[in-house]
Amino acid sequence: MVEDISTLITGLGLPSGEAFLALVVVVLAIIGLIAVISAIRPVLSMYPYTYPLARVRARKGRLFTDKQYTELLESQTTEEVKNYLRGLPEYAKYIDEYPLEKALDSQLAETYDLIARIAPDNTKDPFIFLMKKWDIRNIKSIIIAKEAGLSEEETMNLVVPFGELSDKLNTLIDADSVDEILNNLEGTDYAPILEDSIPVYKETGILLPVEASLDKYLLENLLRTAATPEDDNTAYLHEYVGNLVDITNIKMILRAKADGLKYDDIEPYMVSDGYQIREWKLKDLMESEDVSGVVNGLEGTDYAPMLTESLTDYTETGSIQAFEKALDEHVSEVAQRISQKNQFGIGPMIGYLNKKENEIKNLKIIIRGKREQDLSASVIKEMLV
Amino acid sequence: MVEVALGTALAAIGAGVAIGFAGLGSGIGQGIAAAGSVGAVAEDEDMFARGIIFTALPETQAIYGFLIAILLMVFTIMVPGKEVSAALGLVAIGAGAAIGFAGLGSGMGQGIAASSSVGSVVEDPDMFARGIIFTALPETQAIYGFLIAILLMVFGGLLGG
Repeated sequence: MVEDISTLITGLGLPSGEAFLALVVVVLAIIGLIAVISAIRPVLSMYPYTYPLARVRARKGRLFTDKQYTELLESQTTEEVKNYLRGLPEYAKYIDEYPLEKALDSQLAETYDLIARIAPDNTKDPFIFLMKKWDIRNIKSIIIAKEAGLSEEETMNLVVPFGELSDKLNTLIDADSVDEILNNLEGTDYAPILEDSIPVYKETGILLPVEASLDKYLLENLLRTAATPEDDNTAYLHEYVGNLVDITNIKMILRAKADGLKYDDIEPYMVSDGYQIREWKLKDLMESEDVSGVVNGLEGTDYAPMLTESLTDYTETGSIQAFEKALDEHVSEVAQRISQKNQFGIGPMIGYLNKKENEIKNLKIIIRGKREQDLSASVIKEMLV
Repeated sequence: MVEVALGTALAAIGAGVAIGFAGLGSGIGQGIAAAGSVGAVAEDEDMFARGIIFTALPETQAIYGFLIAILLMVFTIMVPGKEVSAALGLVAIGAGAAIGFAGLGSGMGQGIAASSSVGSVVEDPDMFARGIIFTALPETQAIYGFLIAILLMVFGGLLGG
């Protein structure tokens, strides 16, 4: 055997056993390195998601079940709804502190905040940027409240204590005029946007330019933060954000066409680019004569089949609600598909965020149904997402 | 300078590969499972015990690697005056590589399954038993590696020879 080894060593042109040993070590090290790198690479991409995914799945397990919705629908008054939510730890802390709808929005904002904090670095930016949604909502609420002459306390009930401006909310609410609000926002991203749109608002008395310019800023920049997919996770996030932007654009165009508005009326409020619906296509859609023209113009995109199906409803009722519902369902389907396809990455986070949005929407539908319209449980149930 | 025989040196490499790679896989797997468990405990303190169980599962690969490494050393390097042939040294490398690489893959796979199971259990506590079963499945590759390493040592003349 020793002779065989010696023959092998000599055959390999090696001068001694030590040289052979060194060769064995090097070969093993190379094989080991290749095995380790090829095995570890996919695992490392999952690693940053293990902690956030466990947290998200824990919260997913606490989302409302059908049984809970049924119990809630049996409530006779909003006070009963409140008591029910008081029994759920996630809602309890807000229910006692704020009015019902503000409590629900605060819970949703807290969820966004959590996702932004725990998301891995390469997918963090879009979620952090999404927190601006609450700033924008708060600015809109404060301006509307100011114009409607609401008291500070009433205005406070409309704002959600989350977002970059959460520390500034009291100052903004204390402002005496829209101009003072604008002054208080100096140094933030929102000041230049409002500087352009507030004069239009003052001139026309219509708040739409202010709201639309803020929404446009949010969506355009949101798409930009997710615009350079580096891996599967960022690509899926881009797809989800892209669908959100496209659907917001489509809804706005459909609403405008249903109201008989022309290209020039809506062009300033549109997000300039989209995901499937790029700039040139948006212009085409905006130039459509009517709602059916918009639906036909979307031929070839993912949105066409669901909108074509809803066209009959629109023709019968004249309401674009069917389109909006179909588009919202499409976003949910995209989120759930991503959640299933990308189980060890960003997928479950997107899926959960969408389900949480739907839960809050449903709770608001139930509350409004009970409070304003005194609708029966079965009617409200049909309205749920 | 101490003279080390070629066979002894090869056996040492075998022992190193056994615990080194198995430990690497086990460590990565356990890290993944632990990260998931920490996330679960952050949301639900009652998950601590179950998180520990899932996190402990990918430990076994390191134990197999450790056992094989110890056996290799006990029957070669640690026997005073024993001359280990180069052939036996190569058998030791084979045994070490068997458990080392099997443990690497098995440990990482088990860690991913454990982390996912922790997520399932925190979402639905009834998933515990099924989570344990799924997490235990990637153990088999480590057991194959361990068995082959033992067989190589027995029939290669390292154990009982």
